[in-house]
Amino acid sequence: MQVFIAQILNGLSIGSVYMLLATAFNLLLLVAMIIHFSYPQVVVFCMYIIWLVLKITNNNVFFGILAGVSSAILFNIISAPLFQKIMKNREEVDINATMVLSMAIGWIITDVLSHAFNNGLPIQFPEEITGSKPLFRVGLISILPGQVLALSIGIIVVVGFFILLYKTKMGRAFRAIAEDPAGAKLVGIPLVKTGFQSYALSGALGGLTAVLLIMLFHSASPGLGEQVSHKVLAVSIVAGLGNLVGGLVVGLALGILEALVQGYVSGNWSNAIAFVVMLVIILVKPRGLFGVKV
Amino acid sequence: MEQNSTLVSGEKAPMLTVEEISVSYGHIQALKKISIEVYPQEIVVLIGANGAGKTTLLSSILGVKTPSSGKVVFEGKRIDKASVDRNVRAGLCLVPEGRGVFASMSVLDNLLLGAHHNLANKDKNLARVYEWFPFLYKRKDQIARTLSGGERQMLAIARALMSDPKLIMIDEPSLGLAPIIVNSIFDILITLNREGYTVLLAEQNAFKALNCAHRGYVLETGTISLSGPSSRLLNDPGVKAAYLGA
Repeated sequence: MQVFIAQILNGLSIGSVYMLLATAFNLLLLVAMIIHFSYPQVVVFCMYIIWLVLKITNNNVFFGILAGVSSAILFNIISAPLFQKIMKNREEVDINATMVLSMAIGWIITDVLSHAFNNGLPIQFPEEITGSKPLFRVGLISILPGQVLALSIGIIVVVGFFILLYKTKMGRAFRAIAEDPAGAKLVGIPLVKTGFQSYALSGALGGLTAVLLIMLFHSASPGLGEQVSHKVLAVSIVAGLGNLVGGLVVGLALGILEALVQGYVSGNWSNAIAFVVMLVIILVKPRGLFGVKV
Repeated sequence: MEQNSTLVSGEKAPMLTVEEISVSYGHIQALKKISIEVYPQEIVVLIGANGAGKTTLLSSILGVKTPSSGKVVFEGKRIDKASVDRNVRAGLCLVPEGRGVFASMSVLDNLLLGAHHNLANKDKNLARVYEWFPFLYKRKDQIARTLSGGERQMLAIARALMSDPKLIMIDEPSLGLAPIIVNSIFDILITLNREGYTVLLAEQNAFKALNCAHRGYVLETGTISLSGPSSRLLNDPGVKAAYLGA
């Protein structure tokens, strides 16, 4: 029972990362109409930026987080014109062109990280940001502050995102474009400008995710982005592409599934088992558990 | 329903002038040097069969399609190269064919989308729209998908009004609606016109449309074959034979 509770907590905290990344992925898919499946690589890039800033500022956590979030927003805004340029038509998702560009961005980041930072060795984050002392320990269960923080930040950010989506002018424009881009254009919503807003917002989500990943993993390596990106793409497909609520549920569920497998199956089988389960779901429900929304 | 056609005045400057615009989709030329004018406070109707170019003309005016030649002038300014959102801000709006309502969003969200550039006046405009269409107030939190076809058409018109338009363009409002609903939609257009709105209407239902409009243009495969006051078009033997089923 103790293992179970510990692994559920573990799973929820890593699940909150998948949840945020799937939300950012879906937002870019629905509003900017791009398939940016290498987005987690951008997030890992921001982890490196945070690491660098922490080094420079002598472990000033505030500056580190600020740099991480703003670099993610900046990175997205800079890449937006590239995506804009490569798309044939602003009113539909151009899968081939945007996927190739996303892949390129992912590989460039992975290569830069493995050559330009720390000789390509994994980086370790200082205790100031990870807070490694367990909050409490009961038998096998030890709760790390990073886990609690990651889960609570994840929930707060998701709630904030949905408030923005349903209560603001920008969110209303997002939803209109997601439902019918041509119709949204007709009522006078500027597609390009609103698209840029979605790049900026998903950038903010990505920057916060970078902070959560630091608190959970305490380290990062150049290959981390690729691993996570496969999972986030799988989460989005299993949930149903473009289905925001589905992404949240499946993201959390994948986290829990992985943690339970780690807790009860010896050996490192969690990735394989998670993907087999997702494969079975896609075979049974090809449009995803919650339905495709694009 | 009939309105007098003497309102067309030579003294006032036209609100909208379309001058010899041509529009093509690939090799197919959808509009060939079309010219129309709409004067303030008029209801003007474009009549024509499916594929005659009515929808293309309306969307070219709004800026969805850019004409390959010719110009569109709205209130003295050229708008044929401007973006749709700029033209909406300038006072143009289009109620698209098949309503164009956002089915998964609430009635209120749909209305507010119409006010995307005009949120400062939203309370005033919402109050006015609710006064005209009381059912929209009762169902403001309902998802638009649950509305009937006629209600959706009215929601689309109400949404257009939220942008404080000067010229309302409506594409095929009678499409797929029961005759009694069609009548009330045309009554709404006449009421709007009396309130001071200028209306440009594209319609296959020529008899109803001509009865409510001041003037009309007949479109045939991308060109204007006939134009004039509604009363004259209603009595024209060619129009009668082709569009009025007489």
